[in-house]
Amino acid sequence: MIYKKISRLTEHVHIAPLSLFRILFGGMMFASILRFSLKGWINELYVKPIFFFKYYGFEWVKVPNETGLYILFALVAISALFIMFGLFYRFSALVFFLTFTYAELLDKTNYLNHYYFVSIIAFLMLFLPAGKYFSLDVYFRPSKKLTHIPRWFIGVIQLQLALVYFFSGLAKLNADWLLGAQPLQIWLQAHSDMPIIGFLMDKVWIAYLFSWFGAFYDLTIVFFLLNQRTRLIAYFFVIVFHVLTAILFPIGMFPYIMIICTLIFFSASFHLGVIEKIKKFFSFLQSGNEEQVKHYVYKPFVKKFILVFMVFHFTFQLVLPFRYLLYQGKLFWTEQGYRFSWRVMLMEKNAIAYFYVTDRDTGGSGEVMMNNYLSPNQEKMMASQPDMILQYAHFLKQKYQALGMKNPKITVESYVTLNGKGSRLFINKNVDLTLLSDSFENKWWILSPDEK
Amino acid sequence: MVLNKLLGICAKNGPMNSFKKYNLFVLIGAVLVLTFNACKKNIKEDEIIPEDSFDKSGMLANIGNNIIIPAYANLKISLDSLQASSNLFIANPTLSTLTKLQTIFSQTYKNYESTAAFEFGPAEDEYFRTNFNVFPCDTLQINSKISNADFILVAASDMDAKGLPAIDYLLYGSNKDNNIVLAKFTIDGHASNAKTYLGGLINELKTKCDAVNKGWSSSGGNYISAFKSTAGSDVGGSIGMLVNQLNYDLELLKNTQLGIPLGKKTLGVAQPTKVEALYSEQSLVLVAAHLKSIENIYLGRSTSDIEGLGLDDYLAHIGTQYESGSLNDAIKNKFSMAKNLLSLIPGTLTDAVISNASVVDAAYIALQQLVILLKVDMPSALGVSITYVDNDGD
Repeated sequence: MIYKKISRLTEHVHIAPLSLFRILFGGMMFASILRFSLKGWINELYVKPIFFFKYYGFEWVKVPNETGLYILFALVAISALFIMFGLFYRFSALVFFLTFTYAELLDKTNYLNHYYFVSIIAFLMLFLPAGKYFSLDVYFRPSKKLTHIPRWFIGVIQLQLALVYFFSGLAKLNADWLLGAQPLQIWLQAHSDMPIIGFLMDKVWIAYLFSWFGAFYDLTIVFFLLNQRTRLIAYFFVIVFHVLTAILFPIGMFPYIMIICTLIFFSASFHLGVIEKIKKFFSFLQSGNEEQVKHYVYKPFVKKFILVFMVFHFTFQLVLPFRYLLYQGKLFWTEQGYRFSWRVMLMEKNAIAYFYVTDRDTGGSGEVMMNNYLSPNQEKMMASQPDMILQYAHFLKQKYQALGMKNPKITVESYVTLNGKGSRLFINKNVDLTLLSDSFENKWWILSPDEK
Repeated sequence: MVLNKLLGICAKNGPMNSFKKYNLFVLIGAVLVLTFNACKKNIKEDEIIPEDSFDKSGMLANIGNNIIIPAYANLKISLDSLQASSNLFIANPTLSTLTKLQTIFSQTYKNYESTAAFEFGPAEDEYFRTNFNVFPCDTLQINSKISNADFILVAASDMDAKGLPAIDYLLYGSNKDNNIVLAKFTIDGHASNAKTYLGGLINELKTKCDAVNKGWSSSGGNYISAFKSTAGSDVGGSIGMLVNQLNYDLELLKNTQLGIPLGKKTLGVAQPTKVEALYSEQSLVLVAAHLKSIENIYLGRSTSDIEGLGLDDYLAHIGTQYESGSLNDAIKNKFSMAKNLLSLIPGTLTDAVISNASVVDAAYIALQQLVILLKVDMPSALGVSITYVDNDGD
């Protein structure tokens, strides 16, 4: 039985799904970067701010100057286009992965699960022969063309998508989401002025329906997509679900990326059909000849390497979202182990943080007027995330030391509201943050939402 | 929870496995979690939104027609009479025309406070706040501009030499003596320049205010129509803008009108000369007027004290709880508390930050608590995102 499963994975199938995935992914990425720069976000998020929140372990990532930033984003866009056209595929994929991830690491403030998803997909694609069919690479060098690859080359993308959906479904299985229909109750009523369906958005039962449907959808959609009999109707729900989220929530390109990516669950004949249509549209692409079957052949070393890597990658992907179990306190409150775990649109959180500085030598103390150093967006994101609060406190320490205060003590008074429950003090306000350093250890200085 | 997560892992191992079996696992997992949580927690009934929708456009219409437009109209009326009165003063500078001008100026400053929270749409286009009320003003710069007959006010560097704070300085001076003020416009070598400068300051404010009035008016730019109809809570929507600007303005009130003079920014060393309206000594009147105008927006209360639909009704409709009562009540109470503590500050603010710092500090702390409720709890309950730029979230 198990042997049968494995042999099914190594069975050769047509490369078309992988090839079309490459084209769609590259195209979406190009559009995303174009949208990002047209909205002026390069300037707003990376040129204007004077302080950036670095990821733990990635403090070495430097924010380039304005020209450098535009070059960086241009590289992301160009390499995405190259991926789409399948030109110098491996090299383009490498450049895309490196530049995109670097841009992502510039400031933790802008963390989005879907950026992380893009990085992972780009990384996986480095190992896949997605440029060997219906690409400029094989147009110029037909000898490089491949028509059949082992099924698991497509399977790794499907598995990665499955993990994204499944973990985001799992995260929805909590009391607030299922029993309180929160935060959807809050978010949906804000749209009660929408045309046509607006009146529904204010109804409690709609919030419950959306919550339960969302959880069920995330947990099961991949299974329905895998099954040939349910695939079409499942894909219909993929479109409905993601278009709804795109209309209701400010989540940018993510819904469209998912709608496009889930096409990979469709059969090779479907993808071949699409490719035929594209060829017909651009007539010069037609070769006229009957397609010659050519199978992917491993070099033994390469096979071993890719296999070991995939096992390592997916084990890591499976374990990482559970790391929160090692921390004390409620996950949604402390956010310890929250990122990189496909927790998407799960909580309505809002916060404010007042920082205080005390000169230990003179005893004088005052409030830090924040808007001097942070953008409103950074200020807001920081106020509910302990690691960012700590990072900012250390930045303030340096600022005050540069101003001549030898021994500054920095404390914070931060108030957080979660899913519509009254705001509470978040961080122990007597703790001198300059004496703490960030680590993977439990942050004992976060207060529990239940204590008063 | 844990059990379900284990099931979750099992289900994840095999997209290639028989999917029906694992679907069942998932369902069982979901049901288990539900039962566990249902036993542990019972949901508060008062968190549930009532079934009928809240009239957001009605609220915006009330705030637009009965609060915002009258606020700018009142400012226009006082600026018009300020200009008329200053023309009389310039033609005939006497103690009598000066005191009349001062009286109208005080009213104008007070009326300005009621417009401070609406820095979007027409006011944003005119950089209203920056042109009207950057304080403290730079008296050296003002004096040098007067002696050099430099009447241009448009550069960014002129920000500290114009607006209400500059008029405050010209009409009251630092000696609290009207004879010395009058001398500047009569016997001083640059008296004629001083008159031109004063006239220019007032004229600039009048032009800006006229433009904003026109922008809101249904017979002009008709911003009111767009304001009422885009009821969204996102960054571009009217409720989003209103709530964001209300908070931005309240924080400015807290920081610049009280905090900085109190020494919050300077390690506790008071800065008595950094108060608003330093020379006319009406700082406390202005803070009170400002806070009341923010309360009016929250309550949907018009300039003639008639309450209509406001953010309070919206919050009450949603029914958000705060501690043991409603968030709406908590906010109303905090407004009263802050207003009350402000009224307890004796004398002028300049004196109070030195000799009664603890009384001022109590009012400051109340304002800070008010900011928490209005900037953290209220937007979260209404689903309004607090950012001043558009951005993706997840």
